[in-house]
Amino acid sequence: MMPAIEFRDVYFRYNEDAPWVLKKFNLKIKANETVAIIGHNGSGKSTIAKLANGLLVPQAGEILINDRKLTTSNVWEIRQKIGMVFQNPENQFVGTTVKDDVAFGLENRGVSRKEMIERIHTSLTEVGMEDYQNHEPHNLSGGQKQRVAIASVMATYPGILLLDEATSMLDPRGRKEILSTINDLKEELEITMVMITHDLHEITLADRVIVMNEGQIYIDTTVDQLFNDHQGLQSIGLSLPLTVELAIELEQYDYQFATYPLDNEEFLEALWTSNLKK
Amino acid sequence: MDIQFEKVSYTYQVNTPFSYQALKDINLEIKTGEFVAIVGHTGSGKSTLLQHINGLLLPTEGRVQVGDFLLSRKNKRQDLKKLREKAGVVFQYPEHQLFEETVERDISFGLKNFQVPADEIQTRIMDALEKVHLSEDVLAKSPFELSGGQMRRVAIAGVLAMNPEVLILDEPTAGLDPKGQQDIMNMFNHLHKTKNMTTILVTHQMNHALAYADHIFVLADGSVQMEGTPKQIFSQADELKKANLDMPDVLSLIKRINQMFGTDIAYERRQPAALAKEIAERLRENKRL
Repeated sequence: MMPAIEFRDVYFRYNEDAPWVLKKFNLKIKANETVAIIGHNGSGKSTIAKLANGLLVPQAGEILINDRKLTTSNVWEIRQKIGMVFQNPENQFVGTTVKDDVAFGLENRGVSRKEMIERIHTSLTEVGMEDYQNHEPHNLSGGQKQRVAIASVMATYPGILLLDEATSMLDPRGRKEILSTINDLKEELEITMVMITHDLHEITLADRVIVMNEGQIYIDTTVDQLFNDHQGLQSIGLSLPLTVELAIELEQYDYQFATYPLDNEEFLEALWTSNLKK
Repeated sequence: MDIQFEKVSYTYQVNTPFSYQALKDINLEIKTGEFVAIVGHTGSGKSTLLQHINGLLLPTEGRVQVGDFLLSRKNKRQDLKKLREKAGVVFQYPEHQLFEETVERDISFGLKNFQVPADEIQTRIMDALEKVHLSEDVLAKSPFELSGGQMRRVAIAGVLAMNPEVLILDEPTAGLDPKGQQDIMNMFNHLHKTKNMTTILVTHQMNHALAYADHIFVLADGSVQMEGTPKQIFSQADELKKANLDMPDVLSLIKRINQMFGTDIAYERRQPAALAKEIAERLRENKRL
């Protein structure tokens, strides 16, 4: 199967005096794969998203979307295939009401009025904002704005969804709701998802986790193997989830963990088993 | 500066079809030198509330007393500049407010606006830089050359340079990576302790409220639903749930451990290493019984 996103020997820096943000960077993301890209601030992870939909242009190398090379002449066409949700919802609002905002992307794509009304309703319901259809964006809280931004993108049915720290402004409950919505949508629509994130809940949704450091891939692994190299991850400025930290400390007291637990239930189960064996 | 809200209500776009009541009959009191967390679900009115503390919004009904300043509809004309010098707000994503050519000019912008004498500006800048753990060599740089975390520190330095008595923080860690979040919260905690600054943290991160606050106000639907010490608040899991809030991670984990092993481990603001030691000891005791 052709990859949804491919980077071939990509070099990028913001200007000529600046250091390389990406150095000979290679990446393949398969269609319908869910990938989390993590790394400390400044590790190059957001740059990947901006390159993938042509917001930035690499100094060298190639970027392919659905096996087509991204060029200045097809960038507009390719952007229809990549829905992008940014960290800050303030920068992505165009409508004067919530409803208009979701409609904007649909109008640009020539969706019929009847379908538009349906899609606006569905996508706003999915993010729990259906009661706010006529509200003005500037009166919404940050989290509400971000939910509308996500609804706007989801309403256009992109084949690839890039989430650039899209849930970082939401409260824990709102985040969970959106993540499960995105997960449902992914299953229904066969969507490729790339989540650039610091959030462990987001990471656990991914089939694959890529850790970035200094413009290169530090590890390309799965969620349950991720924290095996906890010392390495900490040395490149990542912090560990509480359950992993506790598990590491408990190893000193002869408790054993086959894989580092990512949530409370995994932690308890491992602690229980290990406690029995002692 | 003590802060007191008396029957405060606030309605956005009053007398229009879009009228929306964000605060309903709020009563609260914050004492000088306290570290207070205001927590609530998205849309609960947290940000609206904080804008009342330095007079950015005036209550539609009721009154807000901040030190000597009385803020109400009836009492509009007064020098709010003085108040804003004393009550510094670090807004969400403060780095978006950076605009000057150099870090030095950006930090000094507020100082000049508040007519701080020129010979004092330099010391204030150096002081503020030290508080946010930035080195002198950023001063000549453009703020836009810095990393996200550094930019946020510069923006915070601009607020701290005013030597505020009250520091109001609106989701100060949003968008930072977990390590950056920890660093910045430790920095505020240190400032609070060493400078005896009244600190008001507006957040939906229960973990931060638990770790740093002396007193917590829980907002839901524009009203104060609960208030108390972290211990009091987080012992009422059902009430918290009604406000659409979760328990802090560490407390829900400890609770499950206690349920599973019949232990009575308490959090006591312990770091993971100390907590692991406690867990190991308690489980060992348990086995012996």
